[in-house]
Amino acid sequence: MAFTRDTPTPGVRQRTRLSPAWGFVAPFTVMFLAFYLAPIAYALVDSLFATKSSGLGFGPPQRVFVFLRNYTDALSSPAFQASLGRLFLFCIIEVPLMVATATVLALLLETGKALWPRFFRVVYFMPYGVPGVIATLLWGFLYIPATSPVLQGLKAIGIGLVPLSSTNVLFAIANISLWLYAGYNMIILTAALQSIPTEIYEAARIDGAGEWKLIWLIKLPLIRGSIVLVTLFTVIGTLQLFVEPLVLSPLTTAISSDFTPNMAAYANAFTKNNSSVAAAMAVIVAIIAFAMSYIFLRIVNSKGRQAW
Amino acid sequence: MRTTILLGMGVCLALGLAGCSSPDATATTDPPSEAASSAASGPVELTFQSWVPNIDKAVDQFNAAHPGIHVTLETITAGPDGGYAKMFSAVKAGNAADVAQVGYDWLPDFVRNDAAEDISSYFKDSASLFADWQVAAMTFADKVYGVPQASSPLGLYYRSDVFAEAGASVPTTWDEFYDAAKKIHASNSERYIAAFAFNQTPWLLGLSEQAGAVWFAANTDSWTVNIDGPETMKVAQFWQKLIDEDLVKIEADMSSEWYADIQSGNIATWICGSWGDAIIRGNAPDTAGKWAVAYMPQWQAGQKATGTWAGGSANVVLKGTKHPAEAAQFAIWLNSNPESVSTLVSIGAGWPSIKDISSIASLQSDPTVFDFYDGQDIWDVFAESDSNVASRWKWPPLVPSLYSAITDNMKSAIDSKRPLGTAFTQSQTAMVDALKAAGISVS
Amino acid sequence: MVTRSTHPGRSWTWSRIGTTSALLVAAVYFLLPIAWVVIAATKSPGDLFGTNGLWLSDTPQLLHNLQRLFTENNSAFVTWVANSVLYSGLGAFVATLLSTACGYGIAKYSFLGKEKLFALILAGVMVPATVIALPLYFLLNTVDLVGTRLSVLLPSMVSPFGVYLARIHSATVPDEVIEAARLDGAGEGRIFALVAAPMMIPAMVTIFLFQFVTIWNNYLLPLVMLSSEKTFPVTLGLTLWNSQTQRDPYFYTLVVTGSAVSMVVLVGLMMGLQRFWKAGMTTGATKG
Repeated sequence: MAFTRDTPTPGVRQRTRLSPAWGFVAPFTVMFLAFYLAPIAYALVDSLFATKSSGLGFGPPQRVFVFLRNYTDALSSPAFQASLGRLFLFCIIEVPLMVATATVLALLLETGKALWPRFFRVVYFMPYGVPGVIATLLWGFLYIPATSPVLQGLKAIGIGLVPLSSTNVLFAIANISLWLYAGYNMIILTAALQSIPTEIYEAARIDGAGEWKLIWLIKLPLIRGSIVLVTLFTVIGTLQLFVEPLVLSPLTTAISSDFTPNMAAYANAFTKNNSSVAAAMAVIVAIIAFAMSYIFLRIVNSKGRQAW
Repeated sequence: MRTTILLGMGVCLALGLAGCSSPDATATTDPPSEAASSAASGPVELTFQSWVPNIDKAVDQFNAAHPGIHVTLETITAGPDGGYAKMFSAVKAGNAADVAQVGYDWLPDFVRNDAAEDISSYFKDSASLFADWQVAAMTFADKVYGVPQASSPLGLYYRSDVFAEAGASVPTTWDEFYDAAKKIHASNSERYIAAFAFNQTPWLLGLSEQAGAVWFAANTDSWTVNIDGPETMKVAQFWQKLIDEDLVKIEADMSSEWYADIQSGNIATWICGSWGDAIIRGNAPDTAGKWAVAYMPQWQAGQKATGTWAGGSANVVLKGTKHPAEAAQFAIWLNSNPESVSTLVSIGAGWPSIKDISSIASLQSDPTVFDFYDGQDIWDVFAESDSNVASRWKWPPLVPSLYSAITDNMKSAIDSKRPLGTAFTQSQTAMVDALKAAGISVS
Repeated sequence: MVTRSTHPGRSWTWSRIGTTSALLVAAVYFLLPIAWVVIAATKSPGDLFGTNGLWLSDTPQLLHNLQRLFTENNSAFVTWVANSVLYSGLGAFVATLLSTACGYGIAKYSFLGKEKLFALILAGVMVPATVIALPLYFLLNTVDLVGTRLSVLLPSMVSPFGVYLARIHSATVPDEVIEAARLDGAGEGRIFALVAAPMMIPAMVTIFLFQFVTIWNNYLLPLVMLSSEKTFPVTLGLTLWNSQTQRDPYFYTLVVTGSAVSMVVLVGLMMGLQRFWKAGMTTGATKG
């Protein structure tokens, strides 16, 4: 490589060739090791231990090595299994809803047929600046008949919707995520749409393609990479499911303290004072996140060109 | 160098004098020690962690009366919501606060995790000021680990106007409660006598305690756990009947929906501690004059059984403090000085733990409170309830696990329309398993 | 071609009305909670639960609520906003520098293990933040950092996604320019600081904004790390108040007013900088 100016011997050459890059890369890498990889390593180790007392339990507890006991306990607990099942169900509800909404909004805005496109873009993007906890507090008010003008209105016309019932609660949570992130994802997609050269549309129109054909044959295939990115981020986002159910939990019988794996881990760490089980649960979620991202990218990339 | 020596001397002096002086509740200010320490090194700095709203008023009173000690209040996340866990880790890391707010139900876990300081020697002269059963709740293996602040004897808040409109009389027994429930719901289908607060384990626990249940008892080296005994099941069946007949509203208490309902009169009663007054008055000022407080309904007519909202709340000196004597002095003063206790009552901290409440101004006459209840001295009810608390419970470690188990099981029982009793049976199993898994003996 | 062919004239066609109506419906959906909170911020606790949510009460008291919001608990809300600005501003600033340098290093140099390192960093994007937060708490507890502002600041300075963006955007710096600077005798650090970085400013702004919002909206990390309210960011502070509604319903009003205020602040900031979002997203999303 040509990135070195004086290279007297091969040995020194090797070293000087490496050094400038590491000067740029090292600071981030060190922080990344400390705040991303080290916690994961710590969780892996901690998840192999447990705390034990004896008698009435007022003596100091002991730490004992239990190998994979915490994992087998967590995975064999019906409550944790149920929380994993709920997470997958939520994924199945949330991901198509999010990707479809963001794509439809982006396509509608970019047809050029709408009035005030700038206004709409800003309005849709606005919720992204609202922290998840605060959004959940707000929607919590809108999900309760006593404070919700929407539910009061629906009731007046004879529709008795209970958003926080056990059948609806996942949709109620999905709605909060949709509200928060649909606009952000839409911006990613509109940006991709805008980068398509207009000549392509003109050529298609000359060939007699209508708006629908344009969408199916040109726009969607050309923004495929961005759709994949949006899907991937949404999948990762759904695996984080924590704040929304935590904040809604006191309002409904449908959300238990171990509603999602993250909530179960949090409850173990902070309510039950059982960090090892919490660590094991965190590791399980991380493994699922990697597996799902990997499988998703494999499926996407096997069908044609590499997207991401 | 010189300052270090002076500082050391100041601390020794303060410690020595505080140790000698008896922290009498009526004369707790201790001018000699404070003057000495402040002259040498400035006031002793203490940090107090609590989440009781407006408790800063009582802390300010302490600081004003004690020039030698300066207490800084840190408002923290409520203990059960993560505050306690952080105290544990702070103690382990050696950077904990000096004094902390701890519920009676959590105190055993503080002792188990070696996070509470043994304050027996500072507390022994003041012990007689506090209710005996509450001092007992602070005591493990003859050592005292906390200063009781407030208990939560239960009473029945009710909307007299709603009862009058429905032609219902105020219930003295649970049978009458059931009859009133029917009348109130019949008078208006939106109205219910009470909310079934599935979210509130302390409430369920108080109802069970009143029925005579003793969930936990300590033997010499093992625990007896009896969460699903006949007394608890009696309570479960009673509320089951009310739910089945649509006579109570299934609703989390102190939620936005519940607040709207107590304002509108759709929820007509609330069983809770004396601090409930601050909540009702604060939320529903427009209902002034329409509220009253009665003694809890009884299972057998003529009795005066009562329960508590999960015991009460204490101030604990955390392990690792550099000033245990001052910390204990603060905790004792805060919870026994008449003016401070008066403040604590008025901010809604709970029913005072001290025996002699005759000198507590806010309990004697408080027009803003009494007028709201149409002139009733509601404190009479709680004073009587407090004197009848049958403190046969002994909290074991891991009660927090039990709370989340009960709430989860209660939610799922309601959600899948299973009998409420199953929630207690499942929680019994869960608690016994949790204790055993932690190596604690259960008999 | 003066206009894009996708922008036909501004005539009232059916497709125009249909498209605009659909977008209007969506706009109502996105505005509803915001409208609710702004209206709720003008109400007393009693009116909050007793009056229609989308209508002003007879006795609006916005100023009173704002005054209490800014003075309650020794002006705790002001402290929380300041903390949020500190965590988000400083955290995002350092994160931007670190990830830009790293992305640039990966894009412009070849070194042993480069692609492996990049793959590892990308894997970091995939790890849910919730998974990191709990173990990080126990880890930082062993080095006595839990409870300090650093326990939130330091982890916030790492943005794997920023590295990904920076690597892509390094393409805007032509290799010839770097080569020319080298021939002029400039060192590698100097080239980055004086030549490459200025050309990457749009990308850096995007990374900064992205990380700023991520930190601002973060809840779990401060929730597990912090215990003293003096160190709380807005999100945590408002939920602290929300938990106090159990003892004093006035806190509902404070929570609602505080939410409205913090929302207005950040939404305003984001809208002002909207063009940077778009600029960054375009390249970020289509290349790679």
